[in-house]
This record gives sequence, structure tokens and C-alpha cells, in this order.
Amino acid sequence: MENSNYLSVTDILVTNEKIPCKFLHDLPKMGFLDPSAADNDLKAGTNVEIPLWLAESLYSRRPPLVSVELPKIYKDSYREILNADACTVDMHKLNQHFYELGCYIAKHDIKGEVANTLINTFRQRFRMLLSACVSTDSVGAIQPLSASERQQAADAGSTEKALATWLQRGDSVLTTANMVANHRKRKRAEMEMF
Amino acid sequence: MDPYEVEFIGENRIVSIIPNFTYDKIYLICGEFGPFRAGLPMNVPLWLAMMLKQKQKCRIVPPDWMDLDVLENIKEEEKRSRFFTKMPNEHYMVEAKLILGAASEDVPNAAEIKTIIKDIWDIRMSKLRTSMDALMKSGGGYGRLDHLTMMEINSAKPLLPSAMDYLLQIQMKAQKKVTQQSLLNTSTFSQSGSSQNT
Repeated sequence: MENSNYLSVTDILVTNEKIPCKFLHDLPKMGFLDPSAADNDLKAGTNVEIPLWLAESLYSRRPPLVSVELPKIYKDSYREILNADACTVDMHKLNQHFYELGCYIAKHDIKGEVANTLINTFRQRFRMLLSACVSTDSVGAIQPLSASERQQAADAGSTEKALATWLQRGDSVLTTANMVANHRKRKRAEMEMF
Repeated sequence: MDPYEVEFIGENRIVSIIPNFTYDKIYLICGEFGPFRAGLPMNVPLWLAMMLKQKQKCRIVPPDWMDLDVLENIKEEEKRSRFFTKMPNEHYMVEAKLILGAASEDVPNAAEIKTIIKDIWDIRMSKLRTSMDALMKSGGGYGRLDHLTMMEINSAKPLLPSAMDYLLQIQMKAQKKVTQQSLLNTSTFSQSGSSQNT
């Protein structure tokens, strides 16, 4: 998101997502935008999915030519899932750029609930980032993360690895003693003493 | 930052050695050390101590805290407390690793001390993880890093700040429309929530 500048590839991909929009005016000769239309002209009230960059510019005209509707992953039903437990959602399947797209979409959400959902989702899913960067099963842990989350997890993972090599280096490795590794046994031993 | 860079910074700590040679004062960028008298304890930076030790030119006097009882107390304290406790030394891990690595014969009970330091490290690292998670859950406003050593802060570095930064960006971009009032509320909440977690 920090690279949401004009030439950022992520940003271009995000703004290329199709967004459901409703046209508010008759548009002559724009029928090609709606694949199911037979006419040459686009009628007011047609629902068409157009890329975000187009929707934004049509929306920002005065008067606006379209009204932007929420894509289904930001609608109530999905928001409920996300608010209940965001960690169960496979963000990679849902939308790779969930947060970035959400930031654009949030402007068109009158109730302002999309913004809260985005923030809550990220907060809850931070735990997944934590576990992804130490996990040995890296494929399984990274799979459900969105593109930006994967990037963060990868950065954190490399630090984690550097720290691990530092700890391992040298002839005297500060390792966990056997006694500590078998912690349960230690507890049992303590219990047997009493 | 790489752990080796942290180690480099930690190597500037002063430790006590007993040299087995006699030599004049030496002048270093970080100060002047010496004169070296065989058999008399003196203070030098850790990296110099390591170098002399590797050349068999000195014996290292283990720091006061590198003692079984002291460490046992620290470990108990660390287990009991929800927060991080003060470590005897800002670079305890670096110092322990280097001294126990090169001069384990100079430290009494070296093997036990190794284990116990590793225990303390593990306890603190897992505590760091849970409090990072709690901090993000409670709002991610800010976290206090009292008593964390440099190596530990460094281990949390790319993930926590970038996640907090990301959260802020979502807040800024997505909540533009939401009134200033509610923004104010969330920030005070996160402050009171996070200050207890770290």
C-alpha cells in the first residue's frame, strides 16, 4: 500500500479489479460496456462490472455517471465471516489484494463499516503472520495470506532465519538442554519427588 | 539489522580479564586500555578480550551476573512477571554467547549457565510473541519496550513496525470519511490497551 503510486504494479492490479456499478444516465454508443446489451446505447439503471479505475473516474464526474456498489467480498455476508474469525479465511483465494482494494472501496461504503472490517481483519490476522514467519511448514502457513501479508511474512522470516543462524553459529551453541526439551518429563520427575 | 551487527555493537561492552603477559598501555578508538600486568585483573572491551583469549593470552573473569544463583532468580522473576524484567546487561545474549563460546573453562558451571540463559531467552521470546499479538489485537497504537535488549528488539523489527505501519495506512485511507471524533476515540483506547501488554 505504501507503493500506491502511479506506476506501482500492485496498484495497477488493484485498480484493474472489476467493480459492480450502476449507470445513472443514458450513454449513447456505450453499449459495448455491457456484454449482454443488444443496443448501441447504454441505458440508465444498467448494472455493469467495470474496472475500478474507470469506475473511479466516472464516479468523480459532476454529476456522477455511475454509482459504485460493493463487491460481494465486502458485503455483509462476507463481513460477518471476517468479523467472526478472520483467520479462517483464505485471503489468497478471496482476493489477493484484499486490503488495498478495500481501501478504495471503503470510500463508497456509506455506513463506513468496510473500513472497520479491514482494520479488524488485519488485527486478527496478525497472529497468522507471526506464526507464518516461524513456521517450518512454510507452504501451509503462507498459503492463506494475501499478497501484502506474504511480503511481510517473508521479510520477518528472513530476520528469524538470520537470528537462528546467529544462535547456531560457533563451537558453543546455546542449545536447549535435553532436560528442558523433555519438559513434560521434568514435571513428572518433580511430581515423583513429592 | 543483522544479528551480527548487534553482536558487533555488543562487543564494545567492557569485561574483566586477567592477562598473562605484560605490556604497555594501548590506545584504541574506543579509549585507552592498559597497562597490562600479568596476573592483575583489568577491564577491556569484549572483542579485545575474545581476541586475547583466542590467543591464550588471558583468562576472562566472568561477569557478576554469570552465576547460577543470579540467573536462577532472573529466570524465576521472568516466569512470574507478565512484563519483561530488567536484564543484568543490555547485551546479555551476545556476552553469554561469546564468553561461553571462547572461554567456557573460565566460567564455573558453564554447561548449566548455558542452559539457563537459553531458558531465559526462550521465555522472553515467547513472551515477546504473545505481547506483540496482544498489542495488535488491542489496537496497535504503541507498545512499550521496557527492558527489552537490543537483540530482542531486533528480532521483532521487520514484522511489528511494518504491520503497525500497514494498519495505520488502512486507517488513513479507508477511514477518511469517518468523523474525526471516532478516530480520536480509537486512539485513546489503543493507548490504554497496549501500555499493559508489553
